[in-house]
Amino acid sequence: MAELGVQIAGVVFDNPVLLASGTCGYGQEFAPLIELGRIGGLVSKTITPTPRAGNPPPRIVETPAGMLNSIGLQNPGLEGFVREKWPFLAQLDTQVVVNIAAPTAEEHGEMAARLDELEGIAALEVNISSPNMKDGGMLFGCNPAASAAVIAAVRQATRLPVIAKLTPNVTDIAEIARAVESAGADAISLINTLLGMAIDIKKKRPILANVTGGLSGPAIKPVALALTWKVRQAVQLPLIGIGGIATAGDALEFIIAGATMIQVGTAGFVNPNAGMEIVAGMQSYCAEQGIDNIASLIGSLEV
Amino acid sequence: MSETCMKDLAGKVLFNLEVAEDFYLLRLAVPQIAEGVVPGQFVEVKVSSNFSPFLRIPLSICKTDPALGTIDLLYEDLGPKSRALSLQQPGCEIAVLGPLGNGFKVTEGDRTAMLVGGGIGIPPLLFLAGELRRAGRQVVLLVGARNGKKHLPDNLLNAAAGEIRKATDDGSAGHHGLVTDLLTEKLTGGKRFSVYTCGPHAMMAAVTAICKGHRIPCQASLEEYMACGFGVCVGCVVELRPPENETFSSPYLQYSRICIDGPVFDAHRVCW
Repeated sequence: MAELGVQIAGVVFDNPVLLASGTCGYGQEFAPLIELGRIGGLVSKTITPTPRAGNPPPRIVETPAGMLNSIGLQNPGLEGFVREKWPFLAQLDTQVVVNIAAPTAEEHGEMAARLDELEGIAALEVNISSPNMKDGGMLFGCNPAASAAVIAAVRQATRLPVIAKLTPNVTDIAEIARAVESAGADAISLINTLLGMAIDIKKKRPILANVTGGLSGPAIKPVALALTWKVRQAVQLPLIGIGGIATAGDALEFIIAGATMIQVGTAGFVNPNAGMEIVAGMQSYCAEQGIDNIASLIGSLEV
Repeated sequence: MSETCMKDLAGKVLFNLEVAEDFYLLRLAVPQIAEGVVPGQFVEVKVSSNFSPFLRIPLSICKTDPALGTIDLLYEDLGPKSRALSLQQPGCEIAVLGPLGNGFKVTEGDRTAMLVGGGIGIPPLLFLAGELRRAGRQVVLLVGARNGKKHLPDNLLNAAAGEIRKATDDGSAGHHGLVTDLLTEKLTGGKRFSVYTCGPHAMMAAVTAICKGHRIPCQASLEEYMACGFGVCVGCVVELRPPENETFSSPYLQYSRICIDGPVFDAHRVCW
């Protein structure tokens, strides 16, 4: 058996596979369905300083090889999370990364300080990339200085590793990546969803109540892979590849392109076992290729 | 959470036949779901082994045979996903995730149950009707459709209820008009009953308003675009009112997930 364990900022993950934020809730729904202990970890759904209702429905629509969503960060808020969601996550047999978003850099810092008090969080992932947040998210992630300000505020407030989750909806993602690296991020995860839209031609109305949403699923994998490769060349930080990963082959492409870990998101809606199957597929690949340690594959792309 | 724990299973297609215009009846051998499922629950069926169509199709269960280990699904061919499903041949195996969601709650005491359905909202009501009749209830089924060809065949309907009344928009079968006309007519009889409804949004909203006017209980099985079917994507939501004389403690509770908190809700709490 090849060694699949990887480290990010000193945190050990049994394998490079995480379930992506917003696609695995706070663990409760997946726990009876799959063996969470067999994947590297999960990233909990974004929490904000105060509870949010989210957007009115319809919130999702299927598109070719993917889907659009505009959930709008429905979440119980920081204290609701600490009280109602964390106790369940804390007892899971896997690493838990907590994803946060807020309207200001200061509030990001305050959330990080509060979460720092909890025992057992593997890392914080900072959502400066949601296309569905009108008072944060992508508003920060489109601007290098604003991205850096948020990451610096989080960095100063916590001992936990800080992962900056980037949006693809920018002119130059490398510039944003360098900004969050300088601001003290420990890792970069990419990409969040691509801004997208679908129209009901009979009604001449957008299908999503929010008009636009975020595109995810296999349709976006080539875009995510190209951006991962671009960021790999721009920064030294470990990367976590996200975007349309549905199979072990998809995941391995990101690792070869330079990602230390990957996240499985939308694929889990269709195949709840996708994460576990990817871990098994990585193991088979390593056996076939005579690879002892998956770490040797990271960034092994030859161009 | 579901009454029985959901599983992702392989279902073997036993038959998949067109039973009314664009309506198909699919029987799957999937014993682990057939055993524990209750009326109102649904399954997510994977119609393709590749990424097109990408998401599964959520379908209500219309009948089970726990002894034979089968479930029956009725669906309308409306688009690429249902088209792909309609092409599945007997002997094929398809992935079925279920049972999902919460079923109808049978109200104690009422001798008569009024089931009001329209279009492709009929399947869960057929399953419910069978269970109610086994429990010794009188079951009346009121069915609406665009036209006579869109009505399910009598052999599927007759087995379910003691009394069946049909309505069509064009008058080609049964009452010429809305299924809600039939409900209003029944209510003038003065008899007590509970109402269970599933169908188009506007129909269920109208049924709920009629029930409210007569102060009778009503449960509705809702539908919305769905991605996962088991609660993680938070895509298929409905806005609910807080229970009577209560307020929501957090805006987080304003929207409930149809797939895991429903799909059956107290219709009087739904913000139609």
